[in-house]
Amino acid sequence: MTASISLYIAGDSGLHRLHPLTKLTLTLTILLGGFAIPYTWASYAIFLGIVLPIAIWGGIWKQMLRSVWKIVLPFAISIFLIQSLFWGEGTALFAFGPLSIEKEGVIFAMGSVGRIIVVISSFLLLTLATRPDSLMNALTKIGVPAGITYIVVTTIQIVPRFQAKAASIIDAQRSRGLITEGNLLKRTRALVPLVMPLVLSSLVDVEERAIAIEARAFNSPGSKTSLNVIPDTSTQRIARWIMFLLIVLIIGYRIWWSLTFTN
Amino acid sequence: MSFTESIKKEFSTRTLVLIPVAIAINIVVGQLLIILKLPIYLDSIGTVLVGALAGPWAGALTGALTNIIWGLTLYPQAMPFFYVAAVIGAMAGIAAKLGVFERISPRWLSALIGGFFFFGLTLFILSVTTYSREGLIPNATDLIRQYGVVFIIIAIIGLAIGYFVLQKAGYAGLAGLITGVVAAIISAPTAAVVYGGVTGAGTDLVVAAFRASGTGILASTFAQGAVSDPFDKMVSFLIVWLILQALPARFKSR
Amino acid sequence: MVVIDVHELTYTYPTTNVAALNDVSLQVTEGEFLAIIGNNGAGKSTLCYALSGFVPHFFKGTMRGRVQVAGMDTQNVTLNDLVLKVGLAFQNPFNQISGAKYTVFEEVAFGLENTGVPREQMVERVERALRLTGIDELAERSPYSLSGGQQQRVALASILVMEPQVLVLDEPTSQLDPVGSREVFQVIKEMSDSGMTVILVEHKVEWIAEFADRVVALHDGRIIAQGTPAEVLTSATLAEHGFGLSRYTTTAREALKRGLWLVERRLPTTLQEAADGFSRGKA
Repeated sequence: MTASISLYIAGDSGLHRLHPLTKLTLTLTILLGGFAIPYTWASYAIFLGIVLPIAIWGGIWKQMLRSVWKIVLPFAISIFLIQSLFWGEGTALFAFGPLSIEKEGVIFAMGSVGRIIVVISSFLLLTLATRPDSLMNALTKIGVPAGITYIVVTTIQIVPRFQAKAASIIDAQRSRGLITEGNLLKRTRALVPLVMPLVLSSLVDVEERAIAIEARAFNSPGSKTSLNVIPDTSTQRIARWIMFLLIVLIIGYRIWWSLTFTN
Repeated sequence: MSFTESIKKEFSTRTLVLIPVAIAINIVVGQLLIILKLPIYLDSIGTVLVGALAGPWAGALTGALTNIIWGLTLYPQAMPFFYVAAVIGAMAGIAAKLGVFERISPRWLSALIGGFFFFGLTLFILSVTTYSREGLIPNATDLIRQYGVVFIIIAIIGLAIGYFVLQKAGYAGLAGLITGVVAAIISAPTAAVVYGGVTGAGTDLVVAAFRASGTGILASTFAQGAVSDPFDKMVSFLIVWLILQALPARFKSR
Repeated sequence: MVVIDVHELTYTYPTTNVAALNDVSLQVTEGEFLAIIGNNGAGKSTLCYALSGFVPHFFKGTMRGRVQVAGMDTQNVTLNDLVLKVGLAFQNPFNQISGAKYTVFEEVAFGLENTGVPREQMVERVERALRLTGIDELAERSPYSLSGGQQQRVALASILVMEPQVLVLDEPTSQLDPVGSREVFQVIKEMSDSGMTVILVEHKVEWIAEFADRVVALHDGRIIAQGTPAEVLTSATLAEHGFGLSRYTTTAREALKRGLWLVERRLPTTLQEAADGFSRGKA
């Protein structure tokens, strides 16, 4: 069983050592850049020219490429097939019988795939090189409620436990004769005896866990302190403000662009 | 009680501890459904549960955080739909306040609910897709005459679903069906813009079918959602109804 | 000095009509090791919650009477005030892990972070708590990767780090294997030896007989016996209710019936007493 479902890979690169908020702002800037610039090739340029070099700097490029490939491939196949074959009226590139591959469909599909690649990879920059609790602690310092931090980090750690619990419930039910293979109806019928025990047994623990964190003064009023200190530099602070401004400009530009050029 | 106070009241320590458990259930069951390759998601059971036990704001937070956490770890495709999950949680909370999870309905009523709902849903979907193709809002009676057989079959399926699947949980099922339609409507634009209406899963065939008949991307995406979401949310609400019926009273006092 | 004073406590949980505790009165002096025994449903956990303030603050319900702990009336202060003075640990080690921290060290520091303790003090206090519970080598491990006994010691460390005046422990070894049980009980005994007031709910009567200063027996929400282990664990009242008797006591009682145990000799509760009694008394 993994310790948590987070994708974080420990490391000591410059990217790892950046303040979590810097990385978050960076991710958002890249993300919005990919969506705002209306040219199809823009997303690919951003991925190859910005995201990948940063990933190499962080020593996480292998995992990034692997994840991007795994996620984008089925999506890309689907969208190319559907959007180029069924585009409707457009300029045909090839035609065979009743089906034809439309140029507009291909361009559309390429644009979609490019945007997905930018979204996935920019978030991977954040999640592969940042420990979830550092990110959440940094967010708490700028005003995100402490309860959210608790929820996010706890969820990440307990999901593997729940997966194990689900697996043992499946085994137990199977040994009692539950059928989980076969046709659609059979598989649907298998759901309730799997889900109900999982949920009911989890609810019993909730009260005790609430008592346990109350016993640790979780609801104590007054300011909290932190055991771990996250190093920050003024350079990063300035960089974050610049990126934030960039984000505002990009959003503004995009709104102006769509108001001017559509309708 | 002021507005902010009534929001805060939903977030007792018990609720705060419940939410990660609910999100974990969402993710684990959602992942399981992906493996089982069924055409439903069932990634909202925890969200609906929190909405029912703690209230709309807590339900909304559970939904939003589920998609964000799931998206940042195991299933990035889920992330843009965080607002849809939030609305589902909020609607579950409102439905709970209306007593939907406590009421028992006779089976014939559930059958009627199923029959009428799916009939109406078919009408809605066909109107939207026809409008997308032809540019005019079609007349309901024309549509029924045109697709007559389809309507009859779906109405019968709806009756059967109500009678055999929902059984005594008719009100909860109805709340789920309505939530599903809302979810389909508000998720369609994001699915169309971000993913071009496609997910890489089997449901893309539905999108392909609509696209092949000349329907626009947004309408096709909506149609696919309107086919899967109501049933999916109905089952989620049903499961939460079953859970609440099985819970002893002391768990429900929040 | 009296550190706990319970006066005619009657408490009912919100969704029921039957009182969980009925007219319970007891006092605990500082540094005492008090054991609480009773069948399931006798009100032992409820009493633990009452001593730590979770009754009434967490569970609500109806409370009559008075509970004073570490100079505070539990009904007049908040739960946050009480958790700093009274540490509570219970049966399930897994449920006591917050989930919000990745290492044992951070987990133990959690309570200190919540109460705003300055960083420099935190490190020192956590290290001390880890040493007291014998889990220093586990400091960098994930709490979820530990055995039940280790997790329970993490729970104890997490509470001890907050330097409470009283430790309330509700069956901390019930879900552990013999090794884990022994590890945990070792820590409890050391805390008691060093002067901490310890309230322990336990089923392992042999331990109580050996180490507790006083025993309180609960049945149906009422105290049916109170006194030294020797007094309570051999009393007829307990035998009537069918609990609290160690193997040594029950063996000796049988022996007494058959004339193999001196009538004037007090029934044994520990191995030592039994051995002495059997080797010397021949009727």
